[in-house]
Amino acid sequence: MAELLHLSPEEATAVGLSLRVAFWAMTTSLIPGILLALALARGRFWGKSLLDGLVHLPLVMPPVVTGYVLLLLLGRKGPLGRFLDEHFGIVFAFRWTGAALACAVMGFPLMVRAIRLSIEAVDRRLEDAAATLGAAPVWVFLVITLPLALPGVIAGMILSFARSMGEFGATITFVSNIPGETQTLPSLIYTLTQVPGGDAGALRLTLISIAISMLALLVAEFLARRLARILPGT
Amino acid sequence: MARGVPFPISRRLFACVFLILLSGAWDNAAPAQDAKLVIFAAASLKDALDEVNAAYQREKGQATTTSYAASSTLAKQLEAAAPADIFISADLDWMDYLAKRNLIKPETRANLLANRLVLIAPVNSPLNLAIGPNFPLAQALGNGRLAIADPNAVPAGRYGKAALGSLGAWSTVADRLAPAENVRATLALVSRGEAPLGIVYQTDADSDKAVKIIGTFPENTHPPIIYPIAVVAISTNPAVMGYLTYLKSPAARPIFEKHGFTFLQ
Repeated sequence: MAELLHLSPEEATAVGLSLRVAFWAMTTSLIPGILLALALARGRFWGKSLLDGLVHLPLVMPPVVTGYVLLLLLGRKGPLGRFLDEHFGIVFAFRWTGAALACAVMGFPLMVRAIRLSIEAVDRRLEDAAATLGAAPVWVFLVITLPLALPGVIAGMILSFARSMGEFGATITFVSNIPGETQTLPSLIYTLTQVPGGDAGALRLTLISIAISMLALLVAEFLARRLARILPGT
Repeated sequence: MARGVPFPISRRLFACVFLILLSGAWDNAAPAQDAKLVIFAAASLKDALDEVNAAYQREKGQATTTSYAASSTLAKQLEAAAPADIFISADLDWMDYLAKRNLIKPETRANLLANRLVLIAPVNSPLNLAIGPNFPLAQALGNGRLAIADPNAVPAGRYGKAALGSLGAWSTVADRLAPAENVRATLALVSRGEAPLGIVYQTDADSDKAVKIIGTFPENTHPPIIYPIAVVAISTNPAVMGYLTYLKSPAARPIFEKHGFTFLQ
């Protein structure tokens, strides 16, 4: 495939790394995303607005600031980073796991928003009906609410994936730009634009980036339409 | 809203704020005379050149503005016709690159400064390494990475790659690098303790108290580190030759030498 597209090994690595990082960012944020969306949609507790604000913070802060905060907390010398390293051997600095974390954080607000809206749209009477028939709250959630909110969950996942594919500022600030580990597609494009003679490569990668994003959006659209046909009331 | 007031306060306030914001969009172009000199300089020159420019402004009354970045980045910008007057590169290659494309005035080109390449570590590091053929750099790194400016394009990285190559240590660390955008970003990585070792210029190491020099690379392991200066071909600023003369004069020498550069003029 790489030869077909005339990609150099460096470029192929960056594309593969981007897909891998985006995939893991999306899947690791899924469960926390669903839980937080549920809490924000249905919950009534002190500090709810604060939590809502916190979740949306990466959306409005400059990405470099988010990356810098991650660096301060989870860098090699950061309080959390040192703790995780000493007790669990987990290191984020200069690793693809750090890139995935940065992408997950940046895509999280988009995922939570999409899922929350979907949960809020679920008819509560269906949930009540299930409860009167004897279902426990957790079961109601898993069997009634979540399937009905699935279009929003899918949308949230795709948004998180697409955001992760395009994430640059937080990644480069937090885990630098290391080929094979943290040099994702946007980082490599940036590097190539800084080096005389790199324009051809930058252009190639730009086109690939656009193609992947388009593909993700088309898949999301297709899935949403399939689900609309299967699920009642949507 | 108060009765009898023809225009509500809130609307007036909005109009005021809008006009203030709009005024920012007005282009307040400075007069052509006394136009600032635009200098593109290698990142490692930051502290020294800032001081020289300040002295120049005091003595000659000419204002300057300097953009510091990796020489490769600056060369790329000049290739795209960036409106600069002077270019100071950290290696001869990038100056040659521009000369080949007729982007500098070749008669104004001169070698201004020289520097040394050093291996640094955070100031509290317990590491002790003697730089020599096949020295145990990979072992010293442990599970950390060697901070270096991008070895493909940035001069500091290229010198570092050449030096490690001459000493037979490049292949052992080639996959253990933390490439940075320029030499100052490399310095920051070591300064912050994110990388256990790094390769920067001696002048950079001297400027940061949070790092210490583990060793200096022998000069025969890499091409001589020379900073050429030249006037950019599209420059029309009349003050440019005066600035060039000042930079090569005994007035600028003590400032450069104080920061650790070798003055070549």
